[in-house]
Amino acid sequence: MSRKLLLEKAHVENIRLYDVYRREGGYRSVEKAFKMAPADIVEEVKKSGLRGRGGAGFPTGLKWSFIAKPEGVPRHLVVNADESEPGTFKDRYLMEFIPHILIEGMIVSSFALGSNVSYIYIRGEYHWIVDILEQAIAEAKHHGFLGKNILGSGFDCEIYVHRGAGAYICGEETALIESLEGKRGNPRIKPPFPAVKGAWERPTVVNNVETIAAVVPIINDGGEEYAKIGVGKSTGTKLMSACGNLNKPGVYEIDMTISVEEFIFSDEYCGGIPNGRKLKACIPGGSSVPILPANLLLTTAKGEKRLMNYESLSDGGFATGSMMGSGGFIVLDDNQCVVKHTYTLARFYRHESCGQCSPCREGTGWMEKILLNIENGKGKLSDIDLLWDIQRKIEGNTICPLGDAAAWPVAAAIRHFRDEFEWHVKNPVECLTSNYGLAHYADPIHIPVVA
Amino acid sequence: MADEIKTFKVTIDNITIDVAPGTTILNAARQIGGDVTPPAMCYYSKLEGSGGKCRTCLVEVAAGSIADPRPMPKLMASCRTTVMDGMVVKNITSEKVIDARNGVVEFLLINHPLDCPICDQAGECHLQDLGYDHGKAGTRYEFKRRTFEKEDIGPYIQLHMTRCILCYRCTYVADQITDKRVHGILDRGDHAEISTYISKAIDNDFSGNMIDVCPVGALTDKTFRFKNRVWFTKPVDAHRACENPKCCGKATLWLRGDEVFRVTARKDEWGEVQSYDARPDDPVGRGKTGWICNTCRFDKKKTSDWTIEGLTAISRHSVIGANKYAGLEMPNDTIKKVLNGRDPKLLMNIHNVSGVNNPNIHLSEIDRPSHKEDFAKSGEFVKGEGESTQWGLPKE
Repeated sequence: MSRKLLLEKAHVENIRLYDVYRREGGYRSVEKAFKMAPADIVEEVKKSGLRGRGGAGFPTGLKWSFIAKPEGVPRHLVVNADESEPGTFKDRYLMEFIPHILIEGMIVSSFALGSNVSYIYIRGEYHWIVDILEQAIAEAKHHGFLGKNILGSGFDCEIYVHRGAGAYICGEETALIESLEGKRGNPRIKPPFPAVKGAWERPTVVNNVETIAAVVPIINDGGEEYAKIGVGKSTGTKLMSACGNLNKPGVYEIDMTISVEEFIFSDEYCGGIPNGRKLKACIPGGSSVPILPANLLLTTAKGEKRLMNYESLSDGGFATGSMMGSGGFIVLDDNQCVVKHTYTLARFYRHESCGQCSPCREGTGWMEKILLNIENGKGKLSDIDLLWDIQRKIEGNTICPLGDAAAWPVAAAIRHFRDEFEWHVKNPVECLTSNYGLAHYADPIHIPVVA
Repeated sequence: MADEIKTFKVTIDNITIDVAPGTTILNAARQIGGDVTPPAMCYYSKLEGSGGKCRTCLVEVAAGSIADPRPMPKLMASCRTTVMDGMVVKNITSEKVIDARNGVVEFLLINHPLDCPICDQAGECHLQDLGYDHGKAGTRYEFKRRTFEKEDIGPYIQLHMTRCILCYRCTYVADQITDKRVHGILDRGDHAEISTYISKAIDNDFSGNMIDVCPVGALTDKTFRFKNRVWFTKPVDAHRACENPKCCGKATLWLRGDEVFRVTARKDEWGEVQSYDARPDDPVGRGKTGWICNTCRFDKKKTSDWTIEGLTAISRHSVIGANKYAGLEMPNDTIKKVLNGRDPKLLMNIHNVSGVNNPNIHLSEIDRPSHKEDFAKSGEFVKGEGESTQWGLPKE
């Protein structure tokens, strides 16, 4: 049983309420942090090695140290709770069950960054969580942890919850800022980065819910203590939201030392694949990251066991690896069709593209149409190469990472499952009723031996 | 020396130029001019905040600056990337750029109706130019193209959203030049569209300028629609004393004979509205860019309303310049030359009386297979000696 930092108290009854949360040791970090200098808190977060939990995995302490501090200009902390990635639902769990850990982390982070007005940008579909968060904010304010002169420190802080209107793109930090300002949620062109010119042209830090929540154990136990959990540059614990063909889908807190195999098959975590089916493929980090076949998922191309952490999951680059992403762990058994799955994702990205830049606006729709044809047995072999060419021309040529996120799943599906696509084209009738099955996707991979 | 102006050295396609700090790569390339300049569909130097969206101006930055000579990992939008001292940029010398630009042109064209033959913008369309310069001859897109209903926005402007490439330029005009924001983008992704709130009319003195900034035929002048092709009209520079203080009163008239078909703002070599010094009576300085008011654009359609200055300079390779310059040498008519004065009858020569078949027979009405007699030039030549002279060959 690995150590839990965020979800340790998640099952205590009424932990959602301030009194219970406080009794279980909540808001200790605020008391501790207010005795420290803001720069020391940033230093502590740097020492902890905490990496952004929203997908990109950028070191949080470094991000905080980039914030510009011009004289007389307010700064803002914005928490990104626009969790819209298909397969990712960890923040929802955290906010729904222990909202106070987010509020607590926000108070500490706001103090470290000097943000007197902080925001939670939450996706509109989480409407009931808005009520939970606002209740938690009201309770915290009532007990003097928010508002003017918090705990006599002279630091003022207010937290507001802002509801999005249902756009995936608003999870991109600059689109989120535009939306927060009341504009259309189009990503901005960087530079300038939000740390210099963010919301209302003021220095702004945008962090994921889980990242901010992780600040609480870092301050309580110290950054060095937090860095001892995990391996290498993957420190601390990570929330994984597992879904798909699993016996026990759900949100798990892991300490990034366990292997992927253990995570899928052990009873402590997902408990294996139901109905005696076999593992075919998996997207380890939310819909945007490359899909991997079973053999490359469990071992790296070098033949080592793949672990559930940032480095190991991305071992081998995009050729044979994937990414940790936001921790949306989607498992496909041998009864699933990769072509249909890829089509579903392409449809999602087509629908969610903001339409600002041409490659993403036009390319996502084009890919969706081609994939639908292949899925319905109307495809041509040349369509597979065409798809490859389209994704190649979208990737890296757009303003924001949504273009990449739309291109990667298609690229990875063709890279690893090309024969399944070809089977779909060559068996246009059969593919409508049956599917390609497991084929060779779980066979042990040949590991070249260095002479 | 305090008043010494610091400049940055930037090398674009092996040509080095000194530019002021804060200049974008695109504007530095425009100072060099020619092929080195990346195409721009959405960037408009006179509209603040424009650019970065169409991705046609992507360039490779081979070295960031003297201080940090690392190359940038991704292609950069040259219209929104400012130069650094010692930056090395590759535009047409980079295969990556050419490849990406081909892709962008293809993306822009897959949902474009390609109805140039009936489009008023044809001949001065930036997308047309871009397609010729950077596109491929064929398309790989096999699906139904996106279409929208045509929409009248106000009495003067028609919106044909099917042609739009969503460059956002007109929304910046609405934001920055007109008095209040009148239209914007609805929806998102490939179903996004430019529109007003519930087809509300655009009624503003400067709304006509959004026609000028539109790079394609999505926003067209209703007083000019289907009246003429731009290359048949002759552009002349003209001015009038406009009562509107914000209007610069300098325009281009598009004439045919003495008739004014269309009035537009004056454009520079990049297809953008020209800049002038601010008029002394204009406190805001908006007159700096030569935007013209709707009165000048739509109501002053007589040559007597204007003082004509002279012919507008048109780029040699523009189709608008065709047939308007003296000393033009017509190409030889090769067919006449090789046929040595003979006069061939081609199927395309349409006459009242058929030159190829017997005029007494209607080929569509005969109830048997046609044979050579049906094709004899006339009934007289049928039977025997009358070989067909249908090709105009002398009988020997």
